[in-house]
Amino acid sequence: MVPLLAIAMLAGAVSAADWRELRIEPNQVALSGPGASQRLIVTGANANGTESDATPDCQWSATPAGAASIDAGLVKALRPGRVKITARCGSASTDTTISIGTSPDTLEVSFGRDIQSILTTKGCNSSSCHGSPAGQNGFKLSLYGSDLAADHKMIVETHGGRRVNAADPEASLLLKKPAFTVPHGGGHLLTKQSDEYRTLLTWLQQGAKFTAGGPRITRIELYPRERILVGAGARQPLTVTGRLSDGTTRDMSAEVRYAVADEGIIGPVTQGAITAKSRGLTVIAARAMGLTATAQAIVIDKAPDASYPRVQPANLIDEAIFAKLRQVNIAPFPASSDREFVRRVYLDAVGLLPTPEETEAFAAGASADKRSKLIGRLLDSDAYASHWLVKFEDWFRNSQYYSQGRTNASYKRWLRELIAEDRPYDEAVREMLTATGDTTVRPAGNFWHPAIDFMLKTFDVAKATPTVTRLFLGVRIECAECHNHPLENLTQDDYYGMAAFLGRVKVKHGYGQYRRIWYDAREGEVTHPVTKQPAKPRFLDGVTPEIPEGATRRQALAHWITKAQKMQFARATVNKIWAEYFTTGIVEPADDFRSTNMPSHPELLDKLAARFIEEGFRFKPLHRLILESRAYQSASWAPGRPGGTDALERILFARYEPRKLPAEVLFDSIAQVTAAPHKFGNYPPGTLSKDLVATNGPPYFLTVYGLGRRDVLEPRQQTPSLSQALHMMNSDGVRERIERPANILGSLLESTVDDGRVIDSLYVRAYGRAPTAAQRARVEAYLAAEREAGRSRRRGFENLLWVILNSKEFQLNR
Amino acid sequence: MNRRAFLRTGGSIFGGLTLPRVLRADRGQINCIIFFQSGGACQHDSFDPKPDAPSQIRGGFSTIPTAVPGVHFSELLPRSAKALGRYSVIRSVYSKEAIHEKAKQYIYSGARPNNAFKHPVYGSVIAKELGAIGGLPPFVVIPSKDIAADAGFLGSAYDPFVTGDPGAKTFKVQDLALPIGIKMDEAQSRAELLKTLDDDLRQVEKSRLVEGMDYFQQKALDLVTSPAAKKAFDIEAEPAALRDSYGRNGAGQGALLARRLVESGVRMVTVFHGGYDTHVKNDEGNKKLFPVFDQAFTALLEDLEQRGLLDTTLVLAMGEFGRTPKINHSAGRDHWPGVFSIAAAGAGIRGGQVIGSSDANGSEPKDRPVSVEDIGATVYKKFGIDYHKEYRTTGRPVRINSDGHPIRELFT
Repeated sequence: MVPLLAIAMLAGAVSAADWRELRIEPNQVALSGPGASQRLIVTGANANGTESDATPDCQWSATPAGAASIDAGLVKALRPGRVKITARCGSASTDTTISIGTSPDTLEVSFGRDIQSILTTKGCNSSSCHGSPAGQNGFKLSLYGSDLAADHKMIVETHGGRRVNAADPEASLLLKKPAFTVPHGGGHLLTKQSDEYRTLLTWLQQGAKFTAGGPRITRIELYPRERILVGAGARQPLTVTGRLSDGTTRDMSAEVRYAVADEGIIGPVTQGAITAKSRGLTVIAARAMGLTATAQAIVIDKAPDASYPRVQPANLIDEAIFAKLRQVNIAPFPASSDREFVRRVYLDAVGLLPTPEETEAFAAGASADKRSKLIGRLLDSDAYASHWLVKFEDWFRNSQYYSQGRTNASYKRWLRELIAEDRPYDEAVREMLTATGDTTVRPAGNFWHPAIDFMLKTFDVAKATPTVTRLFLGVRIECAECHNHPLENLTQDDYYGMAAFLGRVKVKHGYGQYRRIWYDAREGEVTHPVTKQPAKPRFLDGVTPEIPEGATRRQALAHWITKAQKMQFARATVNKIWAEYFTTGIVEPADDFRSTNMPSHPELLDKLAARFIEEGFRFKPLHRLILESRAYQSASWAPGRPGGTDALERILFARYEPRKLPAEVLFDSIAQVTAAPHKFGNYPPGTLSKDLVATNGPPYFLTVYGLGRRDVLEPRQQTPSLSQALHMMNSDGVRERIERPANILGSLLESTVDDGRVIDSLYVRAYGRAPTAAQRARVEAYLAAEREAGRSRRRGFENLLWVILNSKEFQLNR
Repeated sequence: MNRRAFLRTGGSIFGGLTLPRVLRADRGQINCIIFFQSGGACQHDSFDPKPDAPSQIRGGFSTIPTAVPGVHFSELLPRSAKALGRYSVIRSVYSKEAIHEKAKQYIYSGARPNNAFKHPVYGSVIAKELGAIGGLPPFVVIPSKDIAADAGFLGSAYDPFVTGDPGAKTFKVQDLALPIGIKMDEAQSRAELLKTLDDDLRQVEKSRLVEGMDYFQQKALDLVTSPAAKKAFDIEAEPAALRDSYGRNGAGQGALLARRLVESGVRMVTVFHGGYDTHVKNDEGNKKLFPVFDQAFTALLEDLEQRGLLDTTLVLAMGEFGRTPKINHSAGRDHWPGVFSIAAAGAGIRGGQVIGSSDANGSEPKDRPVSVEDIGATVYKKFGIDYHKEYRTTGRPVRINSDGHPIRELFT
């Protein structure tokens, strides 16, 4: 072990001398006054370009002398004024200026700041304790202290004020419970010697006042925001600062509650620091006062060295992806071969297999920009519209079961046109959001369909509100219908504020069960369940709009989403498309944007969103950008490097992640490979399953492979199942394709007596490649054995076709 | 590794289905059969008649005494009335959903449907938590995949296996037998070819997705070639007299197949029996439906008891809601979640109880209201599943069951 240790020390020594691009965090620190303190950390770049903690290497100084003391990064204010703090780390140095105010460090205990922070750090107001919607044993607190007034009332007044004893503060239940001098379901949380106990006691002695009128904490920041830790055991101190409404800052490192999303990767936060456990990526959240800050931590085994390969980025996507991959020392997989690429891009962009002729022509093509040309051709094809239509129908819920309006076909047509013509998406969304009139004539109104309660023939605001925010902004607010969001800064007020925009949407049922007419009533309110008052329309950012005479609330909402919030609208949208191509979103789950769910590549997401806006909210340029990226065109494997062994490769887009063909793509591909087109009722033969309007009862094949009811927003399930495997192996439907006389075997077997050529031909159809010599030999031996067993040439090939359809190489895009 | 930790690893997406048999014993090997009265059965014409109500509410049927003195059922259920010693009836169940799809999903999962995600149904949760026994799927639905029977956010790995209609003259379990004309040796040699060709891919692709596809493909091959699986589904092997006793129809034969399956180790079987949605001419419909139910349900209980399986098999008969107390202008009854009845037997349930009651018109619970969530908690408790457990599949915690309390009368 000695040599290893020596190398590690040597590495440390080298990097210490070599710090570059040092920075101190947090910056713009403004302490309230003498006595206040703040922990600072220094981040620097190593020789290899990766960042790490430089704090242990730094010598600190403060000028002017006597204004502040500084020791190992902990700065303590001594007298009012401005102080320059310098960190000298190896041969480099950096500095920051902090200001020190004149207020003495908190003499009076503040309920809003001090008491709440104790309730938060001790977990009292967490969702599993008194912060749960129902509270705990009658004592209910707001989640992570989001409602100070209610909490104060609960502690001081509710149940006859039994929790506070003014005459004998130390006998207060508020102390006796956590100190466990009386039984407490939550256990023994505070000792009498602890700071927290003393703070609580002081507050009680000072009269248990509701002091929230002073400065409020408006934001908390957690540093470092992003850190790569090399090797198990690597440690990184954290620091948290709160920004107050009076412009000062406060060190909250010891006042927040930390949570690590995956404690297998990073251990729990102890003594204000994280420690690496095993390879992976996770997020650390710090919460206090109903506020949250997050940081991303990645643990790797080894930092990149000179042997790390250089791969030329094709566009802005690759620049971001490759930079991050380099930091974590994962080489991008090599580029896919032409044959891999042509099959892949057909399946992903247009949902079909390339014909054998297309595959061969592409593989033989010599032009340098042939991939780019192919991408352009595919995006302009009719099949592109059919393919993305299926996804749009999922997203915008062209629901098959609840749609008793029977306008699935017109809605489908409307969505298809939107895709085929590449209409500006913002405009289409506004059309959906504000749609009025008869849905047979104005199909965009079908968007609201899943929110109809068709027994009561009414529109259900509670169903529609979370749909709108989740679909267009990636914000899930459904939790806030019943309680404040446990993880986010979303409250019931936010929810009902948004719901109020839909409070006047009305639907009329026309003749029979078939017609729906949407309109906006002149009045109608949504009642807030707590205040019992009509909720005022208020956007999630807290803005209450002026709605001009003659305009509807829905119009105001549509404007806010697609214009005022266009950046978030664009982020949520591009992330969905991204997730289709990479199986994992930059934010994942792709429609779950929240502060505790950090994007893997925040800057890239912003750049893509900005580009999408610049391109006029048109999808095709976005598709093109993604498809042309080297990241998308990476192989899914390399010689000596199988894929799928490391979660980081997927999360950080080091390779093309193989995926199951979606139901419709698989079904249409079977028709292609077997040359046995679908026969759907009255549809013309050869109709793609994607173009089917399967109002009541789509083919079993599609449902077993994941086509859902489209009544909820949850994305399609793409997991394998027993029923899928059985259906592909044994169903009459698949058997009929294989045995249909005029199918591919009919023509191939007639055209040649050379079995080898038939095998090659089937391979190219299904896999886009010829068999390897070993595979060809294996198949030939199989066919010979079949004939030996007395089965016909055709029967042998039918069985081979069965093998191909059941093979993973066929059922995957890779 | 302790059992908890083992179950946790076993609970991963595919691993859950490979839990060894060993774990069965300490859970008492509970199975469950749900006889689902799809469409919503009429409480007045079955377990909760209202003989003293006005005719517009009472309906067209008279009442008969049951094995329990003082308890009367509708005349449409003569066998069930006699067999009440074997099971209990809850007359005070209420739902909050009045649309078939939602109400079914609700009572078949114990979780109220929402717009954001689809909660897994009982069978899917049971499949995930307890895994499969032997080569058989843990969750089977007869005859077809009802829209309610969905694994939701747990993913299709936990969807039910669907059999097809065992009442059909030419019943063949869907996708289970080899395609017509394919011999076993032929099937095996092509499966071998498939395996060797797939091996090339396995060398370069090690993701869990491929593992999962392999896993289910192997399961499927095993099912097709396994004599045990064939036997479990082979309803023809039952004596003709027993088949007759269940009723020669989809529901009767479905109930019989369900018994065969739980006997072989399937954990949850649902028989969907449709037609209870009697908006028009309620009496005519129920005259045909309830005798089928009456025969199948009682034959099932008797058969299970004779085989010593009733103690370990929870049997529930229920629909998604009840029907309107007042008969409508089409002589029918519409959807009514206000109150309805379900029957429960087996797995330690004491027979002969009538739990709760409805008001004079059968429109809402009079006492001991039982929620749909309570039914869910009851099912999971019978299986020994910790229903307070949270899943995090949708990016946030979702409890298997929220707010439900096991129906205590079914545990005494």
